[in-house]
Amino acid sequence: MTKDIPVEVAVDASDITRFAPHTHPLWWGILAAVAIEAAVVANLLTSYFYLWARTDAWPPEGVEPPPLLWPTLILVVLPLSSVTMWWAGKGSDAGRMRQLALGVSASVLLACVAIGFRSIQIAQFDILWSDHAYGSILWAITGFHYTHVVSAIVGTAAVAILAWMGYFTPERQLGVVVDTLYWYFVAGVYLPIYLVLYWAPRLL
Amino acid sequence: MTDVGPALRHRDDAEGRETLATIERTWQSPKGFFGWFTHVNHTNIGRRFVATALIFFAIAGVLGLLMRWQLSAPLNEVLDPDTYNQVMTVHGTAMMFLFAIPAMEGIAIYLVPLMIGARDMAFPRLNAFGYYVYLIGGVIFLLSLPLGIAPAAGWFNYVPLSNKEFSPGLGVDIWTTMITFIEVAALTAAVELIVTIFKLRAPGMSLNRMPIFVWAVLVMSFMILFAMPSVIVASAMLMMDRLVDTQFFVAEAGGSPLLWQHLFWFFGHPEVYIIFVPALGIVTSVVVTFAQRPVFGYTALVLALVSVGMVSFGLWVHHMYTTGLPFMGRSFFMAASAMISIPSGVQIFCWIMTLWGARIRFEVPMLWVLSFFAVFITGGLTGVMVASVPFDRQVHDTYFVVAHFHYVLVGGAVFPLMAGLYYWYPKAVGRMLSDRMGKWSVGLSFVGFNLAFFPMHQLGLEGMPRRIYTYLPEMDWGFLNQLATVGAIILAVGFGLTFWNLIYSAYRGTVADENPWNAPTLEWATTSPPLNCNFAQQPVVQDDRPLWSWPERGKRTVVGGLRTDRRETMVTTLLDARPQSVQVLPGPTPWPFVSAVAASVGFLGLIFSPWFYLIGFFGAFVTFVFWFWPRKPYRED
Ligand code: HEM
Repeated sequence: MTKDIPVEVAVDASDITRFAPHTHPLWWGILAAVAIEAAVVANLLTSYFYLWARTDAWPPEGVEPPPLLWPTLILVVLPLSSVTMWWAGKGSDAGRMRQLALGVSASVLLACVAIGFRSIQIAQFDILWSDHAYGSILWAITGFHYTHVVSAIVGTAAVAILAWMGYFTPERQLGVVVDTLYWYFVAGVYLPIYLVLYWAPRLL
Repeated sequence: MTDVGPALRHRDDAEGRETLATIERTWQSPKGFFGWFTHVNHTNIGRRFVATALIFFAIAGVLGLLMRWQLSAPLNEVLDPDTYNQVMTVHGTAMMFLFAIPAMEGIAIYLVPLMIGARDMAFPRLNAFGYYVYLIGGVIFLLSLPLGIAPAAGWFNYVPLSNKEFSPGLGVDIWTTMITFIEVAALTAAVELIVTIFKLRAPGMSLNRMPIFVWAVLVMSFMILFAMPSVIVASAMLMMDRLVDTQFFVAEAGGSPLLWQHLFWFFGHPEVYIIFVPALGIVTSVVVTFAQRPVFGYTALVLALVSVGMVSFGLWVHHMYTTGLPFMGRSFFMAASAMISIPSGVQIFCWIMTLWGARIRFEVPMLWVLSFFAVFITGGLTGVMVASVPFDRQVHDTYFVVAHFHYVLVGGAVFPLMAGLYYWYPKAVGRMLSDRMGKWSVGLSFVGFNLAFFPMHQLGLEGMPRRIYTYLPEMDWGFLNQLATVGAIILAVGFGLTFWNLIYSAYRGTVADENPWNAPTLEWATTSPPLNCNFAQQPVVQDDRPLWSWPERGKRTVVGGLRTDRRETMVTTLLDARPQSVQVLPGPTPWPFVSAVAASVGFLGLIFSPWFYLIGFFGAFVTFVFWFWPRKPYRED
């Protein structure tokens, strides 16, 4: 029986840290969530090309690929918001909590701008989701990314509120670290979407 | 080597007992009806998963019997055509999505933390959330059948049959929303299991000392991670095609019905292995324990598991041989399908070598494993047959295929699951399952299963199509069908006996001690049933069979210095499990339940109005904020 064998304490946990925001299991959990989302994006983009390969005209007759102006502006704004996010994290690591609060708030604002641009751009689509499979997949991918930006915004807004309330410390900042990771994903995944939706039909 | 903390359970003095009592109080789950909705401990959640899955299994099994009853004679009138289609669809869907995957996840959720010497999983609340999602989704899905509005387009819902024109009514909508919803539970479990296995292993348990079962669960979780998204995308598209008139699968408007098949089977084929891979882990655990020797070819087995996982993603097209794919494409997938037999063969040889010349103890779990060998190998043989294009084009959509997949699913998943139930029940419940009932159950199930499904091969070769609600007397299929029905009844009695055994032995079984089978892995290093905190002191290991090597070394190594007044578990490095930090885990909370309810309202509402997308989104978000919002006093250390 195991319980009759004498015990030796081989690892003493009393001095090991209870805060490890950069190696915390939650960080890995968010990474896994990002992997799932990336798989969803891969499925959507593959479906885009699959549908394309099965039709003669893509976009269908009389429909233009979406204009480039607004999507390209978003391509500037979203990375910019990642920079402010990174700057916020720097501040939080160094204990400059004001910088953290300013940085995350700036990111939220920038992302709201991106959402504004996105909404203008959606209003400009000259095809409905119900007109043609091209319209369906265009709207689906756009809507998918829209939802993600919105959820990144509301999540980060919660972090911003906590930051202004002075909750975070250089140790107690897991929320900042994982939110930043998710933010990078939402901003980064826009690039393949941008290339496929706006450039592929023009170039291929 | 400092000596901190009393050696609990082994220092039977007042101080030792006092400390243990404090830890146990810290890890206690609240009692009572309302308390039930706040549980987060993985042992509670894992038990619930398994119990719920078994109940769904019984329901889906009864539906199978109903179909067999209808088919037992030509022109039978037990079920009318539409009801038959609903019963068939719900049977197939429930067996796959409500029983097989969740049962494996449940066993994994229950066992993995115990096997890796952790006190709980990395995200206990997410675990609870996943369970409620699964429970609510499953119950709603099954309720559609008595209400007569169940889906009837088969478990893979091919378009155009499943689009609005040919499947009016709510059935397919319930399928798309509820299955997508239940996949969320599968995904949360996968994330949870991966992170737990990566980060919460006991100090010393480097990757190459992990039990094979844990490896299998890891592979399963990664497969879920990459396979489920495609079925979620597919069913979201179908949902939108039906509800807001998108044109993804409508050929006239530029859509492609074949897109559905590709997306579905890109998930659907790995799905079969998602069920099968953890079953392999169960089989290995049982083989090792009942041969009483370490597994032969540990590295080969691990590599085989990993390659089964990877190759299974390259097989999906073999479900689509008859759809007019290009010849090159078919040949490629035929070769890939043949390739998967290589790792499967490696595994079988490793088990044979482990058993070879050992003094095998033929206890009930081992008997289930032996039936698994026999049945699964038969299913594998017909698998090699249907994987070849010319043969498949002959038997596609006949009972040959029904026979084949029941051989691999029942043989490859249910029998190992039964082995697992008999093997781990004493750990989970603290009592042994009745041996006599167990032996009868194996025997009846084995005979009944073969009687039920072997004749179907012949029926298929004679041309009986699958998914028909009846057939004409002139076809001469009556006798074999009757045989199959008798077999199904015997099989049901066999499984039923185990169900009864599970209930009966919880009260009357002989009391089990810590390690009744003399197994080598850590789940047996705590009381049966396990303590609230799993281990009074977390273990530290030196090899892959600690329970066999501790007595040889004459000492047992543990972690000291974890706090007793809050839930703490060790975090270790990914590869060699060196101590890295300590994770403070959350205690009981009702928020996961509230979130799950909010999300279900969103998903279910989608059937009626697209606005529920927004309602569900914000509803879930608000509950998540309450869930995660830090509570005062803020933690300082
Ligand atoms: C309890 C014993 C079982 C019986 C008597 C049984 C019987 C049947 C029958 C009669 C069919 C209908 C075939 C047709 O009309 O085409 C069927 C289909 C099916 N069964 Fe089972 N089955 C059993 C267990 C299982 C298990 C354990 C699984 C999976 C883990 C499973 C998965 C399926 C699937 C996926 C289908 C296909 C449904 C469809 O065509 O959409 N069955 N089964």
